[in-house]
Amino acid sequence: MTVAGRYVGQSVRRQEDPRLLTGHGRYVDDIVVPGMLHAAFVRSSVPHGLLRGVDTEAARALPGVAAVLTAAELHPGLHPMWQTMMGQDAPAAPFRPLADADVRYVGDPIALVVVESRYIAEDAAELVVADIEPLPPVLDTSAALGDTASLVHPELGSNLAGELPAAGSPELDAAFASAALVATETFHQHRYACVPMETRGLVAQWDPAGEQLTVWAATQGPHEFRAICGRVLGLPEPRIRVIMGDVGGGFGQKMFPMREEIAVVAATRQLGRPVKWIEDRNENLLGGGHAREEQMTVSVAADDAGHFTGVRVEQLENVGAYPFPGNGSTAMAGSMIFPGPYRIPALSYAARAVYTTTCGRCAYRGPWMMETVAREQMVDLLARRLGMDPLELRRRNVITAEDLPFTTASGMVYETVSPAQTLEQAAELIGYDAFRREQAAERERGRLLGIGLALYIEPSQSFGPLGTDGATVRLEPDGRVALVMGTASHGQSLETTMAQVVAEHLGCDLGDITFVQGDTAYVPYGAGTGGSRSAVVAAGAARQAALALRERIVTLAAAVLEAAPSDLEVASSAVGVRGDPASALPFAKLAGLAYFGHAALPEGAPVALEVTERFKAPPFTFSNACHAATVEVDATTGQVSILRYVVSEDCGVMINPMVVEGQIAGGVLQGIGGVLYEHMVYDGDGNPLTTTFLDYLLPTAAEAPAIEYGHVETASRLPGGAKGMGEGGAIASPPALANAINDALAPLGIHLTRQPMSPAAIVAALTP
Amino acid sequence: MKAAPFCYHRPGTVAEAVETLAAFGDGAKVLAGGQSLVPLMALRLARAEHLVDLGRIAALRYVRGAADSVAVGAMTVQAAAGRDPVIAASVPLLARAIPFIGHFQVRNRGTVGGSCAHADPSAEIPAVAVTLDAELEASGRGRPRLIPAAKFFTSTFTTSLEPDEVLTALHFPVWPGRSGFAVREFARRRGDFAVAGAVCAVTLGQGERIERVAIGLLGLGAVPLRAAAAERAATGTAAGDLDVTEIGHLAVADTDPPDDVHATPGYRRRVGVAMAARALTAALEEAAHG
Ligand SMILES: Cc1cc2nc3c(=O)[nH]c(=O)nc-3n(C[C@H](O)[C@H](O)[C@H](O)COP(=O)(O)OP(=O)(O)OC[C@H]3O[C@@H](n4cnc5c(N)ncnc54)[C@H](O)[C@@H]3O)c2cc1C
Repeated sequence: MTVAGRYVGQSVRRQEDPRLLTGHGRYVDDIVVPGMLHAAFVRSSVPHGLLRGVDTEAARALPGVAAVLTAAELHPGLHPMWQTMMGQDAPAAPFRPLADADVRYVGDPIALVVVESRYIAEDAAELVVADIEPLPPVLDTSAALGDTASLVHPELGSNLAGELPAAGSPELDAAFASAALVATETFHQHRYACVPMETRGLVAQWDPAGEQLTVWAATQGPHEFRAICGRVLGLPEPRIRVIMGDVGGGFGQKMFPMREEIAVVAATRQLGRPVKWIEDRNENLLGGGHAREEQMTVSVAADDAGHFTGVRVEQLENVGAYPFPGNGSTAMAGSMIFPGPYRIPALSYAARAVYTTTCGRCAYRGPWMMETVAREQMVDLLARRLGMDPLELRRRNVITAEDLPFTTASGMVYETVSPAQTLEQAAELIGYDAFRREQAAERERGRLLGIGLALYIEPSQSFGPLGTDGATVRLEPDGRVALVMGTASHGQSLETTMAQVVAEHLGCDLGDITFVQGDTAYVPYGAGTGGSRSAVVAAGAARQAALALRERIVTLAAAVLEAAPSDLEVASSAVGVRGDPASALPFAKLAGLAYFGHAALPEGAPVALEVTERFKAPPFTFSNACHAATVEVDATTGQVSILRYVVSEDCGVMINPMVVEGQIAGGVLQGIGGVLYEHMVYDGDGNPLTTTFLDYLLPTAAEAPAIEYGHVETASRLPGGAKGMGEGGAIASPPALANAINDALAPLGIHLTRQPMSPAAIVAALTP
Repeated sequence: MKAAPFCYHRPGTVAEAVETLAAFGDGAKVLAGGQSLVPLMALRLARAEHLVDLGRIAALRYVRGAADSVAVGAMTVQAAAGRDPVIAASVPLLARAIPFIGHFQVRNRGTVGGSCAHADPSAEIPAVAVTLDAELEASGRGRPRLIPAAKFFTSTFTTSLEPDEVLTALHFPVWPGRSGFAVREFARRRGDFAVAGAVCAVTLGQGERIERVAIGLLGLGAVPLRAAAAERAATGTAAGDLDVTEIGHLAVADTDPPDDVHATPGYRRRVGVAMAARALTAALEEAAHG
């Protein structure tokens, strides 16, 4: 355990809350620009078909309509689109903001109607008539790869979006050949989605005279938004200003602008008038990006004591029609992370990603998490086959402190993880052994109780373009501090935690800091908030900049006080000689000298009280956790009640424990949603059936269990000791719940391998 | 999700509302609490060229108790009905059903009459109306008429109201004697429309025999149902001899429940059996012990 600092390590209240909780947040829909028009999309109601024609005449004739743009009008002059993280040559679906000669999913945008008001925009959109000749839909991933399948993207010649071939090894073959037991199972995850509280949206304004584009966007990364606008429109990046205000969540969906946002930006440029598009909930569920639909077959070879000796994995992902980013496949990350918290000596991981005529996949909190979902369910299944308790099987295979540093079969190097400790802490907190006794007694009375565990190791993603972030810390003339960052906090509390880091290392009062982010005209370049990178990369930059500014302030104070810098101490926004409080010079005084009284300063005293630093992180920093859940299944209704939910987490040095727990809670709720409630359903013809909140069920506060937390704090090797942990809650909760449900159903000989585990699905399994 | 254009009318009396409805025929729709109609209009699944808002007709908001019945004005909001002392004392089944409707925000605006006129087969108030043999009062250009609940709900989202008619009140009979009432339903989440549910009223007579019983089912058909066969089987039986699960099976036997993303017909029936049995058990318990 590290000792908490004055600010770092404290559950400081969220600085953003007074604004947000009193309804004074400023979101993109609050932006009003004079002369602004409103956009609505005409979308395909057919999953797959040839677009014979689009009749826009009646819509154009409606009073108030400024333009009705189809691909023919919008696309000329647009350049190719690619995401920085993926690179220019990554496999990806064809780029087209609007449907061109054909439509490829229900919701595919066909035309963009730009009108004086959103009401009239929807009236006009209704008047656009698309003549579509239906083609066979492509829905089943296996069938999509058959010879006779119709093609989602004919120009690609195949529905195979991406492939990761199995890389076997003699060691792996030997492990399977000599195994005491080989267990194989296929796990299915269903389609569910990010569903941020605030949908997507933007206001875009083109200034033809200055050749400048301004975009206010609900985004997780203003700079990436800017880069993509620059690429598509062929504009220099500094000519584009992307501004984010408050953003009501993203979960991956807002990491990259998608087709609709790009279409709106292109329309603004073409029309020369500001255009606003606020996605409505129906559109968000229909076409805002879906996730998670995939299956994974895991074969595990074990010796007679239950030690894993080798694992073979095959993944099949449904990436829909227009995935974002790239081809939507998460296999590369999955293949690196799969071994997770266990000693798995040999591994092969093969994957195929398949295009279908459904809404494209987008990033969703822990996009690669199928590896944990399948692995953790496999551990429980193997335990059942071995007749061993799943806790015991985990104990036998989990990486312990003695194993560190540990290199996984996929080449990841762990130095500071603690999966064994979190496993024990979670088991202790939930009272594992006592629960087993209670469970046995209650089974006698016919109650179905179950317990489930899930372990995982979470990478903060700081490879490639995600590896650096910048921060500017500036002492203002009044002695207060401006913290200007390249982050894009949209629910992660960075306004609080980054200020805590700066206050700690600069030596100022927290209340003296004003946090600024989200305007590409002024803030340092940032790769966006996502991938659990902020506590690692952004906090690294904030820390580095704060320390550098502190050094300057101390140098200045030393010159003024005629003391050695090493004799000075900084506290509460003042610098003084150690042991002589009367000597302390407040930051305001020093700032006044630097900005206004510099003539009186000795030669060499610094006057530039502003520092910008970039922090460069290693490609991965690993946190880890163990989730433990107990549930009761009602055999009549199939209803699952969560009795207790425990998370033991090690994200290194916690900047703010309350924020850490908040991140966990949000993720756990998303996993609860995924296993028990949320399901984006398509019927057999490719029509989406759950495009309102009447049918797409999110867990609410009433469905949320009280989550109990345990913390293990193993500092990472980074300065500051932090690790990323933003996604883990959503990664481990699905398998923890699935394992608990299956444990409850075990006396009935049932083992579910498909989600969602809705009441009806459980009853269907109970009544074959 | 913006409604198509419409004209908004805000009559001050029922007569004026009826006039407006009559004047615009099929193009007009009544707006009550808007909790069902407004989202449907925003999705453009419902359209009205003329919207006739009953919100300012104060005469439609009341609860009046008489010896053998309680009248509830159609525009009484669900929350008000749910905490009304007369309803609590005389029509406990209605008071107990209301907390199952959506969330408090919905109940604060949604009306008792709107719930019936909307005629969702999973809705609670229609099920209570059918179970207690309530009468629904409607006013049109002709004479006001009383429609028995069993005749009011004709199919999913469809009633026997004429296009120019306004539902003005519900009349609930009071069950005297040693009676008990219960509502049991299963929904995916707290506040969701029920996947399946049952409402039950029972009166015990001599020798703890079931003198009178009414079992209503929600979510199990195109309209709220009465479990007639189950009621017949239970009537006259001594409460202690009753196999409630068997009654539950009888209750759902002839139903033809809908199929949707949340539940298959078979699943709804299975849950229906349990809800009917549990509601009956609770109602009997109350009748026996108060
Ligand atoms: C999130 C949510 C959850 C809900 N959950 C439930 C639930 O669990 N159970 C449940 O029963 N309901 C539920 N509802 C629906 C709610 O109870 C509605 O309020 C009710 O169905 C309609 O009442 P209203 O007053 O809002 O009517 P409106 O929405 O205004 O009207 C509904 C329909 O009835 C007609 N109408 C209304 N009043 C009259 C009248 N006096 N005469 C003639 N026609 C009339 C209208 O023209 C319209 O067609 C839910 C609603 C929401 C938004």
